[in-house]
Amino acid sequence: MSRAIFWGSVLLALAFLIVPLVLVLPLAFNEGSFLTYPMDGFSLKWFAEIFTHGQWTRAFWNSLRIAFGAMIAGVLIGGLAATGVMLTGRALQIVLTGLLVSPLVVPSIVVGVAFAYAFGRMGLSGSYWGLVLAHAILGAPLVFLSVMTSLRGLDPDLDLAAASLGASRSHRFWHVTLPLAAPGFLAGALFAFTTSFDEVVVALFLASPESTTLPVALFAGLRDRLQPTIVVVALLLSLISFALLWLMWWLQSLGRPQKH
Amino acid sequence: MHASPRRPGGARLAALVLLVLPLAIYSFLYLMPIGSMVALSVDNGELGRSLIAFRDADPADADARAAALLADLQAMDAGTQGATARGLNQNLAGFRSLFLNTARKSGEIEPTMAGLVAFDPRWAEEQYWQVMDRNTAPFTLRHFGQATGLVLDDNGRLTAGGDDIYVQIMWRTLMIAVQVTLVTLLISYPLAYAVANARPRFAGFVLVAVLMSFWTSILVRTTAWVILLQTSGLVNAFLLWTGAIAEPLQLIFNRFGAIVSMTHVLLPFAIIPMMNVMRTIPKSQADASRSLGAGPIETFLRVYFPQTIRGVAVAAGTVFILALGFYITPSLTGGPRDQMVSFYIAAFVKESLNWGMASALSVLLLGAVLVIVAIYGAARWAMARPGGRA
Repeated sequence: MSRAIFWGSVLLALAFLIVPLVLVLPLAFNEGSFLTYPMDGFSLKWFAEIFTHGQWTRAFWNSLRIAFGAMIAGVLIGGLAATGVMLTGRALQIVLTGLLVSPLVVPSIVVGVAFAYAFGRMGLSGSYWGLVLAHAILGAPLVFLSVMTSLRGLDPDLDLAAASLGASRSHRFWHVTLPLAAPGFLAGALFAFTTSFDEVVVALFLASPESTTLPVALFAGLRDRLQPTIVVVALLLSLISFALLWLMWWLQSLGRPQKH
Repeated sequence: MHASPRRPGGARLAALVLLVLPLAIYSFLYLMPIGSMVALSVDNGELGRSLIAFRDADPADADARAAALLADLQAMDAGTQGATARGLNQNLAGFRSLFLNTARKSGEIEPTMAGLVAFDPRWAEEQYWQVMDRNTAPFTLRHFGQATGLVLDDNGRLTAGGDDIYVQIMWRTLMIAVQVTLVTLLISYPLAYAVANARPRFAGFVLVAVLMSFWTSILVRTTAWVILLQTSGLVNAFLLWTGAIAEPLQLIFNRFGAIVSMTHVLLPFAIIPMMNVMRTIPKSQADASRSLGAGPIETFLRVYFPQTIRGVAVAAGTVFILALGFYITPSLTGGPRDQMVSFYIAAFVKESLNWGMASALSVLLLGAVLVIVAIYGAARWAMARPGGRA
């Protein structure tokens, strides 16, 4: 009885989690233009349409450029913040952590309105740098958290050992602490990149037609008309996400001590 | 001699140097935009700055008020006149034309009350003057008034006499968020349980499924639901094929579509915190309970479940906060009567360019989220205290 409850609920929930994407994404290869099964035949023509349409390729390059910029800026902001916060006292640490992490809690629509208004007045809205900075603010908390986690996990004896061997504070920071915290920086960088690459709401408020990102173009396409090209874009976005997830996994396995 | 690694003075200096850039960027690009949005929600715009002579005119002397208004109108340029008229129109429909017509002829109208009424009989109506009286200050609560349905009556007291459309929308937002949270918890719990307790291979498979779902963008997962649930979509095609239904069902652009898709998108945010708590519960507890004679269901209900409540609470809070401000998914899968506050905020910014209302609704949404976060913070603090439950 209890086993039946367990398996019944787990399998139903698992199906709900997995089936939508497994069912929909293959439709990108459908020959016909109807998004349903049975498929009319295997075809790559919708992929060809995406890659020859300037609108989608431009949005893709915009997304990539913005995500790279946001990743670098996010790692800089979040990484500096985490290493700095680690050196402060306990009370200040709580306050600063609350502030630095808060963009994760504030609804993105609220951040979007605030950015759209303030960046508009600074002359940043619609520009590449406006989007990079806005996405950097959204990515920095994730870098901050992941660097904090890896700094907290460091063995303080390593720093003491380096100090006892005569290493100066800055030498220890650059040659002991930072290399040991590298996995945290890398994971944070990946988080920041994905956050920017998948972000819709803030980009919707800030992007101009020329700086439109891939998710914004997909969002507009979904509101406009359902075409197989939309599934192709969704498939490509998922493949990029899975590649990043795999990269994260690989980096983590590098960080772990090797088994012999 | 070398400096000790725990020298506090040096650490404070290093912290300061490291924190300057991040805190400057946060203040300038994050706190300031949010601050200016909050200011915008009570800003009266040009309206609060343009009726200068009128503000100082003797309120008992109707002719002086009329003359002051005409003097103000003549002092404004066309842009200011337009912005002021727009602000007045937000208070009272129809004021824009009256104001702009009067402005155009402000040099020719005799500067008395009789002159104004002769130009347009609407100036004899008290309501237009009341609106201007209320709006001579640089700050206004009219956006919040419109958002909450509360209006200032003639005595300056708040009463619930206004249009309550946004109160209904906020109530709807709250209900959808509650429903989504409950369904999400119900579906997440068995999956988190499986990751923590099933045989390693199956647990690993479930974990991979959860993480892949978590990393797939919200928009992509919403896309999948739009395609599945549309009238000619896969779900309807399957149901028609099995003969369960004769006509396609309306599965999307209604409450059902919104809740199903939002639940799916938010599942990983509930599974991960529950899973982390469940992993810390020793399996030997269940064995102990069983050896003492409790059945598997009793063991689950009395030994296992109570220990997972902390994880369930964190999951519920996370999902609820995310659902409350959710824009992408409900705007694509809900119907016109299932749109949440976020949809109206976006519409005010993108379509009607009413920044005051967009900011006021954003401030209310932000306030709701901060209250929930504060409650969670207080609960955590109370539990972490010695004597509290760990």
